[in-house]
Amino acid sequence: MKKSLMVAALAAGMVTGNAVAEVDISGFASVVGGKVLSGEGVPEFGLEPTFLANYPIVGFYEEDWSFKPDSKYGLQLTADLTEGLTATAQLVGRGADDFNAEFEWAYLSYTLNEHWTLQAGKKRLPLYYYSDFFDVSYAYLWIRPAADNYTWQIFNYNGVNAQFNYQVSDWTVSGNIYTGREDDTENKLLSEFFGSQPVREIWKNIVGGVLSLNRDWLDLRFTYMTYQNERYRNGVKVLWDGDDSRRGKFAGVSANVDYNNWVVLTELNRLSLDGGDFDTYLVSAGYRVGQWTPFISFADFDSESEMHSTASIGARWDFHSSAAFKVQYDDVTDDGINGQMVAGDSKAITFGIDLVF
Amino acid sequence: MNWLKFVAIPLVLTSAVASAEVAVVVHPSNAASLDQAEISRLFTGRGAAFNNGSKATPLNLAESAPARAEFDSKVLGKSSSQMKAYWSKLVFTGKGTPPKELATDADVKAAVAADASAIGYIDAGAVDASVKVVGKF
Repeated sequence: MKKSLMVAALAAGMVTGNAVAEVDISGFASVVGGKVLSGEGVPEFGLEPTFLANYPIVGFYEEDWSFKPDSKYGLQLTADLTEGLTATAQLVGRGADDFNAEFEWAYLSYTLNEHWTLQAGKKRLPLYYYSDFFDVSYAYLWIRPAADNYTWQIFNYNGVNAQFNYQVSDWTVSGNIYTGREDDTENKLLSEFFGSQPVREIWKNIVGGVLSLNRDWLDLRFTYMTYQNERYRNGVKVLWDGDDSRRGKFAGVSANVDYNNWVVLTELNRLSLDGGDFDTYLVSAGYRVGQWTPFISFADFDSESEMHSTASIGARWDFHSSAAFKVQYDDVTDDGINGQMVAGDSKAITFGIDLVF
Repeated sequence: MNWLKFVAIPLVLTSAVASAEVAVVVHPSNAASLDQAEISRLFTGRGAAFNNGSKATPLNLAESAPARAEFDSKVLGKSSSQMKAYWSKLVFTGKGTPPKELATDADVKAAVAADASAIGYIDAGAVDASVKVVGKF
């Protein structure tokens, strides 16, 4: 998974002039193709049959084959500056962004002791179970976590993070506490998909935490985050009931089981914003047969007027020690009312290969 | 791409399971006692110290070494693919670093013999007096 090479690190060079830091290079990639088999689109918006597979980066399939929406690559560099200090940068390019690579992660990490690690810089918001490794498809079962749950317009933050790891009898207790902000000057989801004017999306005073409990075949995760939202549309500050900011509160619980050859994945989340609740859940079950893991999945999003769900069936095949082939059929039902439709009903097929190195 | 290879490898591994035994080894001066759960914790990054509190440095075998798949399945209860998925989640979220990998039983034995904090595993047939066996699986 990783290759080591010795390079003269400039940061270390400042200390001793000729110090050398060990830099690990690792990475991941997905090459996925797919198309909409049938769909209604949203005639009111002039939207053709569309399968919105990936909300945050607006990766969507239409009736012609496309290999862009779910394809991506990532390259991670970690420099070990010794004595517990490391510097990590992750460059990610996604097909939905025409593979323009950007630094999605860039942070310093300091190991305080056996239990605690402090980090500062740019990281991924660890909201839902799969949020912080959303891009690393090799690490999970499906082609991508269901779009009905993973609907965020903001997925990074700049700030500080403290993570911990304890052993309490048979349980591993781990998690993290974080705070920071994100200012996305031209938010893709809000500017392009849910509108046609440039939207600057600000999440500030982000405070959150994650608690994970692991034991043998059981994995429980609790997550909470609160943030203050400000938004500019076309340079003009958006007002919500006369206020120029609003507070969102997000809470979620996840229980995963990996027992013998059975895999059961669940998560349940609620975002409270503007006095309304946005509820999401996900249930998946898979069964390993040698290198194959066929699975079924159902995911749902429910709010006052935006409502949609996806039923999926597919399989993962670990055909190689560093790569997996996946194929998946998704059936989306869009029951949105009052103009809160997303992309209409659709049925889509996607397949591809995920790898890590 | 050689598709036949992907079918052949698991067959070879499956047939090897019946015969080979894996020995978990530490430095001869290491007095720590270890059960399977503790070994599993050290090799999955969930713990970083022996039960006597001293620092542990786990050493993995490369995937090409026969004892690797044995260890993954018998001690960790996972396939090597599952372990790779597990580590890729931790590596790319800054939550952990997998144990250093060495190419052969001889490399692991030499590294363990030279480092009081090291813990590794090798084919049981490769054990000699330079290392101490703390468990066989």
